[in-house]
Amino acid sequence: MRQSFKNTILEEAISWIESGQQVALATVVETWGSSPFQIGSKMVINEKGNFLGSVSGGCVETSVITECLELIKNKNSFKKIDFKISDENAWDVGLACGGEMTVFIEQIN
Amino acid sequence: MKIEIIKEIIKKASSNEKFSVLTNLTNGSSEIFRTGITLSKNFINYKDKIQNHYNLKKSGIIDGTEIFIQNYTKPIEIIIVGAVHIAQYLIEFLKNFNFNITIIDPRKYFITKQTFKDVKIINKWPDEVFENIETNSNMALITLTHDPKIDDPALKHALKKKFFYIGALGSKKTHEKRCKRLKEIGFNNEAINSIHGPIGLKLGGKSAPEIALSIIAQLVFEINKSNI
Repeated sequence: MRQSFKNTILEEAISWIESGQQVALATVVETWGSSPFQIGSKMVINEKGNFLGSVSGGCVETSVITECLELIKNKNSFKKIDFKISDENAWDVGLACGGEMTVFIEQIN
Repeated sequence: MKIEIIKEIIKKASSNEKFSVLTNLTNGSSEIFRTGITLSKNFINYKDKIQNHYNLKKSGIIDGTEIFIQNYTKPIEIIIVGAVHIAQYLIEFLKNFNFNITIIDPRKYFITKQTFKDVKIINKWPDEVFENIETNSNMALITLTHDPKIDDPALKHALKKKFFYIGALGSKKTHEKRCKRLKEIGFNNEAINSIHGPIGLKLGGKSAPEIALSIIAQLVFEINKSNI
Protein backbone atom coordinates (compact mmCIF):
# COMPACT_ATOMS: atom_id res chain seq x y z
CA MET A 1 0.00 0.00 0.00
CA ARG A 2 1.21 3.48 -0.76
CA GLN A 3 1.60 5.68 2.26
CA SER A 4 0.13 9.05 1.48
CA PHE A 5 -0.26 10.79 4.83
CA LYS A 6 2.52 12.82 6.34
CA ASN A 7 2.85 13.02 10.08
CA THR A 8 5.13 15.34 12.02
CA ILE A 9 4.00 14.67 15.59
CA LEU A 10 7.19 12.80 16.51
CA GLU A 11 9.21 15.97 15.88
CA GLU A 12 6.91 17.79 18.31
CA ALA A 13 7.35 15.01 20.89
CA ILE A 14 11.11 15.46 20.72
CA SER A 15 10.84 19.20 21.27
CA TRP A 16 8.61 18.62 24.34
CA ILE A 17 11.15 16.20 25.78
CA GLU A 18 14.02 18.56 25.09
CA SER A 19 12.16 21.25 27.02
CA GLY A 20 12.14 18.89 29.99
CA GLN A 21 8.66 17.39 29.80
CA GLN A 22 7.53 13.80 30.25
CA VAL A 23 5.91 12.49 27.08
CA ALA A 24 3.89 9.39 26.21
CA LEU A 25 3.27 7.90 22.77
CA ALA A 26 0.05 6.10 21.82
CA THR A 27 -0.10 3.87 18.74
CA VAL A 28 -3.01 1.95 17.19
CA VAL A 29 -1.66 -1.61 16.98
CA GLU A 30 -4.77 -3.58 16.08
CA THR A 31 -8.22 -2.85 14.64
CA TRP A 32 -11.34 -4.90 13.93
CA GLY A 33 -14.50 -3.93 12.07
CA SER A 34 -15.02 -0.34 11.11
CA SER A 35 -12.45 1.46 13.25
CA PRO A 36 -11.86 4.86 11.76
CA PHE A 37 -8.08 5.04 11.90
CA GLN A 38 -5.55 2.75 10.40
CA ILE A 39 -2.96 0.68 12.20
CA GLY A 40 0.06 2.76 13.12
CA SER A 41 -1.89 5.98 13.77
CA LYS A 42 -0.19 7.88 16.54
CA MET A 43 -0.78 10.47 19.22
CA VAL A 44 1.71 12.07 21.60
CA ILE A 45 0.74 13.42 25.01
CA ASN A 46 2.83 15.49 27.42
CA GLU A 47 2.59 15.69 31.22
CA LYS A 48 0.41 18.80 31.00
CA GLY A 49 -2.17 16.89 28.98
CA ASN A 50 -1.35 18.63 25.69
CA PHE A 51 -1.63 16.25 22.78
CA LEU A 52 -1.02 16.04 19.04
CA GLY A 53 -2.14 13.54 16.42
CA SER A 54 -4.99 11.11 16.94
CA VAL A 55 -5.85 7.45 17.23
CA SER A 56 -9.54 7.62 16.29
CA GLY A 57 -12.02 10.17 15.07
CA GLY A 58 -12.26 11.62 18.56
CA CYS A 59 -14.02 8.58 20.09
CA VAL A 60 -11.34 7.36 22.48
CA GLU A 61 -8.86 10.23 22.65
CA THR A 62 -10.01 11.44 26.08
CA SER A 63 -9.53 8.01 27.53
CA VAL A 64 -6.13 7.56 25.89
CA ILE A 65 -4.99 10.92 27.30
CA THR A 66 -6.16 9.95 30.80
CA GLU A 67 -4.36 6.60 30.54
CA CYS A 68 -1.18 8.30 29.30
CA LEU A 69 -1.23 10.82 32.15
CA GLU A 70 -1.63 7.92 34.62
CA LEU A 71 1.26 6.13 32.93
CA ILE A 72 3.47 9.21 33.26
CA LYS A 73 2.39 9.82 36.90
CA ASN A 74 3.01 6.22 37.98
CA LYS A 75 6.27 6.02 36.02
CA ASN A 76 5.07 2.91 34.20
CA SER A 77 6.72 2.20 30.90
CA PHE A 78 3.86 0.82 28.77
CA LYS A 79 0.28 -0.48 28.63
CA LYS A 80 -1.96 -2.13 26.06
CA ILE A 81 -5.56 -0.90 26.03
CA ASP A 82 -8.51 -2.53 24.22
CA PHE A 83 -11.41 -0.39 23.14
CA LYS A 84 -14.74 -1.77 22.05
CA ILE A 85 -18.37 -0.84 22.11
CA SER A 86 -20.28 -2.29 25.06
CA ASP A 87 -23.45 -1.46 27.02
CA GLU A 88 -21.67 0.06 30.01
CA ASN A 89 -19.47 2.40 28.09
CA ALA A 90 -21.52 3.09 25.01
CA TRP A 91 -22.24 6.59 26.26
CA ASP A 92 -18.83 7.06 27.77
CA VAL A 93 -15.76 5.96 25.91
CA GLY A 94 -16.06 3.57 23.02
CA LEU A 95 -16.23 3.52 19.29
CA ALA A 96 -19.56 4.76 18.01
CA CYS A 97 -18.76 3.14 14.68
CA GLY A 98 -18.95 -0.30 16.26
CA GLY A 99 -15.32 -1.06 15.60
CA GLU A 100 -12.74 -2.29 18.06
CA MET A 101 -9.17 -1.28 18.47
CA THR A 102 -6.11 -1.85 20.58
CA VAL A 103 -3.90 1.08 21.50
CA PHE A 104 -0.38 0.62 22.88
CA ILE A 105 0.76 3.47 25.10
CA GLU A 106 4.35 3.94 26.21
CA GLN A 107 6.64 6.47 27.80
CA ILE A 108 9.27 8.08 25.64
CA ASN A 109 12.51 8.11 27.60
CA MET B 1 10.14 3.84 23.33
CA LYS B 2 13.60 5.27 23.57
CA ILE B 3 14.09 8.82 22.35
CA GLU B 4 17.02 7.63 20.21
CA ILE B 5 14.66 5.37 18.24
CA ILE B 6 12.16 8.19 17.74
CA LYS B 7 14.99 10.39 16.45
CA GLU B 8 16.07 7.63 14.09
CA ILE B 9 12.50 7.23 12.79
CA ILE B 10 12.33 10.97 12.06
CA LYS B 11 15.71 10.90 10.34
CA LYS B 12 14.99 7.83 8.22
CA ALA B 13 11.48 8.98 7.30
CA SER B 14 12.74 12.40 6.21
CA SER B 15 15.45 10.86 4.06
CA ASN B 16 12.80 8.68 2.39
CA GLU B 17 14.17 5.32 3.49
CA LYS B 18 12.14 2.13 3.63
CA PHE B 19 12.29 0.60 7.12
CA SER B 20 10.17 -0.88 9.91
CA VAL B 21 9.81 -0.23 13.60
CA LEU B 22 9.31 -3.30 15.78
CA THR B 23 7.80 -3.20 19.26
CA ASN B 24 7.65 -6.15 21.61
CA LEU B 25 4.30 -5.60 23.34
CA THR B 26 5.21 -7.83 26.29
CA ASN B 27 8.21 -5.77 27.43
CA GLY B 28 7.88 -2.49 25.53
CA SER B 29 11.22 -2.74 23.75
CA SER B 30 11.52 -1.30 20.24
CA GLU B 31 14.03 -1.39 17.44
CA ILE B 32 14.47 -0.45 13.80
CA PHE B 33 14.41 -3.20 11.20
CA ARG B 34 15.37 -3.41 7.55
CA THR B 35 16.70 -6.24 5.42
CA GLY B 36 20.15 -7.30 6.54
CA ILE B 37 19.97 -5.90 10.07
CA THR B 38 20.67 -8.22 13.02
CA LEU B 39 17.77 -8.46 15.44
CA SER B 40 18.22 -8.35 19.22
CA LYS B 41 17.08 -11.18 21.50
CA ASN B 42 13.68 -9.50 21.88
CA PHE B 43 12.86 -10.24 18.26
CA ILE B 44 15.33 -12.76 16.84
CA ASN B 45 12.97 -15.76 17.33
CA TYR B 46 10.49 -14.21 14.88
CA LYS B 47 13.03 -13.25 12.24
CA ASP B 48 11.26 -14.94 9.30
CA LYS B 49 7.81 -13.61 10.16
CA ILE B 50 9.23 -10.10 10.58
CA GLN B 51 11.02 -10.29 7.23
CA ASN B 52 7.80 -11.47 5.59
CA HIS B 53 5.74 -8.57 6.98
CA TYR B 54 8.51 -6.18 5.97
CA ASN B 55 8.54 -7.51 2.40
CA LEU B 56 4.75 -7.27 2.13
CA LYS B 57 4.73 -3.81 3.79
CA LYS B 58 2.15 -5.21 6.20
CA SER B 59 1.79 -3.35 9.50
CA GLY B 60 0.17 -4.76 12.66
CA ILE B 61 0.62 -7.39 15.34
CA ILE B 62 2.31 -10.40 13.74
CA ASP B 63 0.09 -13.52 14.02
CA GLY B 64 0.95 -15.79 16.90
CA THR B 65 3.28 -13.23 18.48
CA GLU B 66 3.16 -10.10 20.62
CA ILE B 67 5.26 -8.18 18.14
CA PHE B 68 3.96 -5.04 16.48
CA ILE B 69 5.52 -4.00 13.20
CA GLN B 70 5.03 -0.64 11.52
CA ASN B 71 6.37 -0.21 8.02
CA TYR B 72 7.55 3.09 6.65
CA THR B 73 7.55 3.28 2.88
CA LYS B 74 9.10 5.70 0.47
CA PRO B 75 6.93 8.71 -0.34
CA ILE B 76 5.17 8.84 -3.69
CA GLU B 77 7.01 10.96 -6.25
CA ILE B 78 4.87 13.52 -8.03
CA ILE B 79 6.07 15.47 -11.03
CA ILE B 80 4.15 18.60 -11.94
CA VAL B 81 4.83 20.10 -15.34
CA GLY B 82 3.98 23.80 -15.37
CA ALA B 83 4.65 26.25 -12.53
CA VAL B 84 1.25 27.82 -13.13
CA HIS B 85 -1.39 29.22 -10.78
CA ILE B 86 -3.05 25.83 -10.24
CA ALA B 87 0.32 24.40 -9.22
CA GLN B 88 0.47 26.85 -6.32
CA TYR B 89 -2.76 25.43 -4.91
CA LEU B 90 -1.64 21.87 -5.59
CA ILE B 91 1.47 22.47 -3.51
CA GLU B 92 -0.58 24.08 -0.78
CA PHE B 93 -2.92 21.06 -0.53
CA LEU B 94 -0.27 18.41 -1.08
CA LYS B 95 1.97 19.51 1.78
CA ASN B 96 -0.21 17.48 4.17
CA PHE B 97 0.58 14.28 2.29
CA ASN B 98 3.65 12.11 2.21
CA PHE B 99 4.59 13.08 -1.34
CA ASN B 100 7.84 14.23 -2.88
CA ILE B 101 7.05 16.94 -5.36
CA THR B 102 9.08 18.22 -8.29
CA ILE B 103 7.93 21.02 -10.55
CA ILE B 104 9.29 21.28 -14.07
CA ASP B 105 8.89 24.38 -16.17
CA PRO B 106 11.34 25.64 -18.79
CA ARG B 107 9.78 29.11 -18.77
CA LYS B 108 11.93 31.26 -16.48
CA TYR B 109 9.35 33.91 -15.70
CA PHE B 110 6.94 31.33 -14.28
CA ILE B 111 9.40 30.17 -11.67
CA THR B 112 9.79 32.26 -8.57
CA LYS B 113 11.18 30.91 -5.34
CA GLN B 114 8.70 32.94 -3.29
CA THR B 115 5.70 31.24 -4.83
CA PHE B 116 6.98 27.69 -4.55
CA LYS B 117 8.62 27.23 -1.19
CA ASP B 118 9.94 23.83 -0.09
CA VAL B 119 9.46 22.28 -3.50
CA LYS B 120 12.09 21.10 -5.94
CA ILE B 121 11.83 23.25 -9.05
CA ILE B 122 13.64 22.40 -12.25
CA ASN B 123 13.91 25.17 -14.79
CA LYS B 124 14.50 22.93 -17.83
CA TRP B 125 12.62 21.21 -20.64
CA PRO B 126 10.95 17.92 -19.57
CA ASP B 127 13.01 15.90 -22.10
CA GLU B 128 16.23 17.07 -20.51
CA VAL B 129 14.93 16.48 -16.98
CA PHE B 130 13.76 12.91 -17.62
CA GLU B 131 17.14 12.02 -19.06
CA ASN B 132 18.71 12.85 -15.71
CA ILE B 133 16.28 11.55 -13.11
CA GLU B 134 15.28 8.02 -12.29
CA THR B 135 11.61 7.30 -12.88
CA ASN B 136 9.37 4.31 -12.13
CA SER B 137 5.78 3.12 -11.90
CA ASN B 138 5.46 4.46 -8.35
CA MET B 139 5.38 8.00 -9.73
CA ALA B 140 2.62 10.36 -10.77
CA LEU B 141 2.64 13.00 -13.49
CA ILE B 142 0.44 16.06 -13.56
CA THR B 143 0.82 18.25 -16.65
CA LEU B 144 -0.61 21.75 -16.37
CA THR B 145 0.75 23.86 -19.24
CA HIS B 146 -1.57 22.47 -21.99
CA ASP B 147 1.24 23.49 -24.31
CA PRO B 148 2.14 20.43 -26.42
CA LYS B 149 5.81 21.26 -26.68
CA ILE B 150 6.13 21.23 -22.88
CA ASP B 151 3.50 18.65 -21.84
CA ASP B 152 3.85 16.04 -24.59
CA PRO B 153 7.47 14.98 -23.91
CA ALA B 154 6.58 14.49 -20.23
CA LEU B 155 3.46 12.47 -21.13
CA LYS B 156 5.43 10.27 -23.51
CA HIS B 157 7.97 9.52 -20.84
CA ALA B 158 5.36 8.78 -18.16
CA LEU B 159 3.44 6.45 -20.50
CA LYS B 160 6.60 4.53 -21.36
CA LYS B 161 7.57 4.20 -17.70
CA LYS B 162 3.96 3.29 -16.73
CA PHE B 163 3.46 5.94 -14.05
CA PHE B 164 0.56 4.88 -11.79
CA TYR B 165 -1.16 8.21 -12.35
CA ILE B 166 -0.98 10.48 -15.38
CA GLY B 167 -3.22 13.51 -15.60
CA ALA B 168 -3.23 16.26 -18.21
CA LEU B 169 -4.93 19.63 -17.91
CA GLY B 170 -6.83 20.95 -20.91
CA SER B 171 -10.33 21.05 -22.33
CA LYS B 172 -11.97 18.05 -24.03
CA LYS B 173 -10.90 19.46 -27.37
CA THR B 174 -7.31 19.97 -26.25
CA HIS B 175 -7.28 16.44 -24.90
CA GLU B 176 -8.65 14.98 -28.15
CA LYS B 177 -5.86 16.67 -30.08
CA ARG B 178 -3.34 15.43 -27.52
CA CYS B 179 -4.58 11.83 -27.87
CA LYS B 180 -4.34 12.12 -31.64
CA ARG B 181 -0.72 13.29 -31.45
CA LEU B 182 0.20 10.45 -29.10
CA LYS B 183 -1.51 7.94 -31.37
CA GLU B 184 0.44 9.25 -34.35
CA ILE B 185 3.72 8.58 -32.64
CA GLY B 186 2.73 5.00 -31.85
CA PHE B 187 0.99 4.82 -28.47
CA ASN B 188 -1.95 2.38 -28.41
CA ASN B 189 -5.45 3.15 -27.15
CA GLU B 190 -4.91 1.41 -23.83
CA ALA B 191 -1.93 3.64 -23.03
CA ILE B 192 -3.68 6.79 -24.22
CA ASN B 193 -6.83 5.99 -22.25
CA SER B 194 -4.77 5.66 -19.09
CA ILE B 195 -4.24 9.42 -19.18
CA HIS B 196 -6.75 11.28 -17.06
CA GLY B 197 -7.82 14.04 -19.39
CA PRO B 198 -9.33 16.49 -18.86
CA ILE B 199 -7.62 16.07 -15.50
CA GLY B 200 -9.47 15.80 -12.18
CA LEU B 201 -12.72 14.43 -10.81
CA LYS B 202 -15.75 16.34 -12.02
CA LEU B 203 -16.50 18.67 -9.11
CA GLY B 204 -17.84 21.42 -11.33
CA GLY B 205 -15.41 24.13 -10.17
CA LYS B 206 -13.54 26.41 -12.55
CA SER B 207 -11.24 28.37 -10.22
CA ALA B 208 -7.61 27.42 -9.62
CA PRO B 209 -8.10 26.04 -6.08
CA GLU B 210 -11.18 24.09 -7.18
CA ILE B 211 -9.31 22.53 -10.09
CA ALA B 212 -6.37 21.74 -7.79
CA LEU B 213 -8.78 20.03 -5.39
CA SER B 214 -10.34 17.98 -8.18
CA ILE B 215 -6.87 16.83 -9.27
CA ILE B 216 -5.92 15.82 -5.74
CA ALA B 217 -9.24 14.01 -5.25
CA GLN B 218 -8.53 11.98 -8.40
CA LEU B 219 -4.95 11.27 -7.36
CA VAL B 220 -6.01 10.11 -3.88
CA PHE B 221 -8.68 7.91 -5.44
CA GLU B 222 -6.12 6.29 -7.74
CA ILE B 223 -3.81 5.66 -4.78
CA ASN B 224 -6.51 4.05 -2.67
CA LYS B 225 -8.85 2.45 -5.18
CA SER B 226 -7.61 -1.06 -4.44
CA ASN B 227 -8.89 -0.64 -0.86
CA ILE B 228 -12.40 0.42 -1.84
